[in-house]
Amino acid sequence: MVKQEPKIGVYICRCGCDVEGNISATVDVEKVKEAAASINGVKIAEVYEYVCSNPGQQMIRDGIKEHGLNRIVVAACSPRMHLETFKRNVKQEGLNPYLLEIANIREQCSWIHEDKKLATPKAIDLVVRAVERARNLKPLEEKTVKVNRAALVIGGGIAGINASVELADKGYQVYLVEKGPSIGGHMAQLGKTFPTLDCSSCILTPKMVYVAQHPLIKIFSMSEVTKVEGSPGNYKITIRKRPRFVDATKCTACGECAKKCPITVKSEFEVSLGQRKAIYQPFRQAVPSAYSIDKEHCLYFTKGVCKVCQKFCKANAVDFAQQEETIELNVGAIVVSTGYEILDPYGVRQYSYGLHPDVVTHLQFERLLVQGLHRPSNKEQPKKVAFILCVGSRMVENANDSDYCEYCCNIGCMNAIKEAYVFQKEVPDAEPWVFYTDIRAHGKGYEEFYARLRNHGVRFIRGRAAEVVPNNGHLRVRAADTLLGMPIEEDFDMVVLSSGLVPSPGTETLARMIGIHTGSDGFILERHHKLRPVDTQREGVYACGCALGPKDIRETITESMAVASQVATFLGKGEVPVSAEVAIVDEKKCNGCEECFKFCPARAVEKVPSTFRTRMEINPMSCTGCGICVPVCPKDAIDLNHCTEEQLMAQIRGVEQKDDVSPKILAFIEKNTAYASADLAGQTRAHYGPNIRIISVPSTGRVGFKHLLQAFASGADGVVFVEGEDSAFTGDKLREHVTHLKKDLQTVGVEPLRLVSTTITIPQYPKMVDTFEVFATRVSKIGPLSPKVRLEIGEKLAKLKEGESR
Amino acid sequence: MKPNHRHAITSQMMDKSFLADVMKMRGGQNILDCIQCGVCAGSCPASWAMDFTPMQIVRMLHLGMKETVLSSSTIWICASCYTCATRCPRGIDIPLLMSALKNTAIKEKVPARIPIKPKFHKSFADIVQKYGRIHEPELFLKIANKTDMHGLMENATLGWTLLRKGKLRLKAPKVNQKTQWSSLFKNVAKEGSN
Repeated sequence: MVKQEPKIGVYICRCGCDVEGNISATVDVEKVKEAAASINGVKIAEVYEYVCSNPGQQMIRDGIKEHGLNRIVVAACSPRMHLETFKRNVKQEGLNPYLLEIANIREQCSWIHEDKKLATPKAIDLVVRAVERARNLKPLEEKTVKVNRAALVIGGGIAGINASVELADKGYQVYLVEKGPSIGGHMAQLGKTFPTLDCSSCILTPKMVYVAQHPLIKIFSMSEVTKVEGSPGNYKITIRKRPRFVDATKCTACGECAKKCPITVKSEFEVSLGQRKAIYQPFRQAVPSAYSIDKEHCLYFTKGVCKVCQKFCKANAVDFAQQEETIELNVGAIVVSTGYEILDPYGVRQYSYGLHPDVVTHLQFERLLVQGLHRPSNKEQPKKVAFILCVGSRMVENANDSDYCEYCCNIGCMNAIKEAYVFQKEVPDAEPWVFYTDIRAHGKGYEEFYARLRNHGVRFIRGRAAEVVPNNGHLRVRAADTLLGMPIEEDFDMVVLSSGLVPSPGTETLARMIGIHTGSDGFILERHHKLRPVDTQREGVYACGCALGPKDIRETITESMAVASQVATFLGKGEVPVSAEVAIVDEKKCNGCEECFKFCPARAVEKVPSTFRTRMEINPMSCTGCGICVPVCPKDAIDLNHCTEEQLMAQIRGVEQKDDVSPKILAFIEKNTAYASADLAGQTRAHYGPNIRIISVPSTGRVGFKHLLQAFASGADGVVFVEGEDSAFTGDKLREHVTHLKKDLQTVGVEPLRLVSTTITIPQYPKMVDTFEVFATRVSKIGPLSPKVRLEIGEKLAKLKEGESR
Repeated sequence: MKPNHRHAITSQMMDKSFLADVMKMRGGQNILDCIQCGVCAGSCPASWAMDFTPMQIVRMLHLGMKETVLSSSTIWICASCYTCATRCPRGIDIPLLMSALKNTAIKEKVPARIPIKPKFHKSFADIVQKYGRIHEPELFLKIANKTDMHGLMENATLGWTLLRKGKLRLKAPKVNQKTQWSSLFKNVAKEGSN
C-alpha cells in the first residue's frame, strides 16, 4: 500500500456559545485554531460551538469530502463521552475510525483551570500532541465473535426475579444465582407496600412461582459466584453451590422435620424477632420449596448425633452426605442484582439500639406488624411509637466512627409513613410520631399519601431526634421541633429507627471479580448516571435494583425491565466486536525468549512451535491490549495496535512545544479507571497546575525506559504514572516496574525522585490531584533537569534508535 | 435586635460578607453543610438558658445575621460539652464555632446580652496567663469588681464553703518554666486571633 500523506483536519469545540461555552470560557479557542492550522500537515482547522451536534458532525464529514482529509483530530470533551459518536461519524464518510484522535481540552483543561492565559497554551499543547499522534495513526479492522445467548442473574431479590422473568419471556436462557436458601429477597419480609398498601407477599409470590416453573430459568439457590472469566458475550462463570442437606427434588415442604428438630435459633427472616429450627424454610412460600439444614447449628454437624429429621422425613429427602458442588456456566451477559442490607443502627449510639429491646429497625417493625404488633420487651401492645428517620443516613461524620452513609436512603420517609398507617390500623388508639429531617415524598402518589396521613393523627415533628433514653419502662425521645425552634421531649412505648441502606456485603468483592466498579458509596457504579443507568463499565455486564443504590420497589421493577431490555439488545445482535487494539508479535524479530509470556496478565501469549525455535504469538481474542509486553521484549519485537511505538513517541515529543510552564510534568495515565478519575476531577472542577500534561496509555506498563528518556529529552522535568487500582498492572507489578525504571534513570544521571507512581479508583480523584500537586512541588524544589543531562539523554536516545534501524 | 421570634428578618440585618468571614473561622468551614436537622438543639443541655438554639445560630449565620448572632447569649452560655458536635451528622464543630464567635464579638466590641460573661472569660484568661493556673479568689474578686454587690453576696456563702473544705487556695499558684508558658500564650494569641 502506498503510504498516504497525512491530511489532518482539526475540529475545536467551544462546548457552548461563545464566551460562555464550557471550553471557550477558559480557553481562547481562536488561538488554538491558529496554532493548530500552523502545524505541518494540518489542512484545515475549525471552531464550532458543539462539534458533537449534527451540524458539527456534518462539518467533519464535509471536511473529509471536500478537503480529502485522512486524519481527524477533535479537540473537545473526554473521549469517554463521544468517542463512539465521532468514530461512527467518520466511518460514514468512509474513513477508518482508528484514524480519529480526540484531544481532551475540557475535562483536562478548561474545567481544571480558571485563568485563560494558562489554559490556552495547555490546550494548544494537548492539540499539538493529538495532531502528532494522529499523523502516525494507522487504519485497523475490527473482527467479531459470536455471543452466547444466555444470561447470568446474580441475586434473587425482586430485582433479580423480575429481570429473570423478563429475559426468559424474551426467549433467553437465564441462570439465577441466589446466596440464600430461597429467592424473594427483602420484599418477602415486607407486610404492606407504599403508597397503595398492597400486600407485599401477594404481589411477590406469584412471580416467584413463575420463576420456579419457567422452562428457561434455572435457579441456583445457596450458591455464590466464585470466578468470572472470558470476554463480553462469552463469559465463563464458576459457581459454588453449598449443600442443602435436603434433596430439593424430593422435599415436599411438609414441615414434619422442623417440628421434630430439637434445635431452635433466631430467625434471619424475622430479623431476630422470631425463631426457626436448624432444619428450616425461611418462610412458607419459599422458592425452591424445600427445607435446608443450617450446618452451623444442626446437632448432627456440631455433636455428631440426632438425625431426627431424617427419621421422620416421609419423602426420604434428608441427605447428610451432600457435598459442595462447583458448577461451570457459559453465558453472554451478566446482571448484578445483589441488593442492599440495612445499616446496623448500633453505631448511632444515642438511639440506644441494641441496648433496649423496644428500639427496633424499620424492617424489624415490619415483621412485628406482620406477626401481630407487640413490644419485644413485654409482649404488650404499644400505644405510642416514635419513628426516627435518617438514622445513619445523610451523615458525613459519626462520633463513633461506625458505618454511616452520606446519601439518602430513599425509602425511609415513605416506609415510616406506611408503617405509621398500618400501626394505626392495628392498634385502635395508636399514637404514631414521626421525627424527620426532611420528608421526601418524591414518587407517584407519595405526596398524596403523606398529606392524607398528616390529617389522620400521625404527628410529624421536623427535627432529627437527639437521643433515646430508657425512662421508667418507656423510651424518652429528645429532639428539637425545628419549626418552632424549641426542644421537645416525649415518652414512647417503642422507637422505630429508619436505618440507612448499604450495599449488601460482598458487593465490592463481586464487582472486583467481574471487573466492574463501585462508587464512593459502595454501590455498583453505572456507566452513565442518566443515559446508561443500568449499564456498568464493562461491556455485557449490567446491574439493577438496590445494587445500584437505594430505591423503592417500583423503581427496582423499572430498572429490572430496563436491564432485561439492555441484555436482550446485547445478546440479540448475535455477535460482538473484538477490539483491534491488541498487541502483535513481529515474527522475524521474535527469538522465543518467553519474556512476554511471563508478563502477560491475560494469558494471551501462546507458544507456537516452528522449524527452528519456539515463537510467541498473541491471541487477539484474549489480549486486553494493556501493552505490558511491549517494553519487556528485549528484541523490540512486539508492538501494540493503536498505541504503537511511533504514535506514543510522537505524543511524548509534544513536550518540545514552546511554552514557559515550569516544572514540566508528564503524566502517563491508564486509559480506563485512571482516565475516568481524571475526567471526574474535571467534572467536579478540581484544580491542578497547567504544567501537568496527561497522556493516556492502555496501562502504565506500556511505558518503558525509552519513553522516559524521550520525555526527559523533550523537556519534561518529572514523570507521573497513574494506574487504576483494578487494572492488571497494579500493586507489586507497578512497584517493581517503577523501581527498575528509577535505577535505569540513575544510570543516565536523572534523579530517581523525578519519577513517581500511584494507583487510584475512579472516585479517588482528589488523591490524583494531590499527587500532582505534591509531585510538582517536589520537582520544583529539585529544580529543572540540567541542560547537560538533557543533551546526553538525547544523544543516548539517538544511539538507541540507530541500533534499532540496524 | 432583641430575641423576638416574631420579628421579621430584614435586609439590614443580613450582612453577606459575614458568612464568608465565619467560614474562614475555626469550626466555621463547613457550616453550609448544615441540614437544619436540629440534633444540636435537641441535644444541648444548656439550650433552655439560651436565647437562640445552636441550630438557630447556624441558620442565622447562613443568612449573615451578624448583630443578632454576636449579641446573642447562646455563644456565651455554650459550655463546650460537645454533645452537639458528637451527634452532628454533618461533622460541624459547634463548640469551636461558638468560641470563634466569642472572639469575634470581643474583637468587634459587640455588647453581650449577659455582660458578666465576656468579663469572666477575659479575667479567667488573664489569671491563667499570669500564674499558669487558675486562682479562684482572684478571679472572684475581679468579677466582683466588675459586677454589682448583689452578685458578690450571692456567691459569698459558696466561697466560704469552698474555703472551709480546702478547695480554695488563697495563695497564688505557681507553675515551673514560666517562660515556656508565656511563649505558649503568645503563640496562641498570634494564630488564634480568629
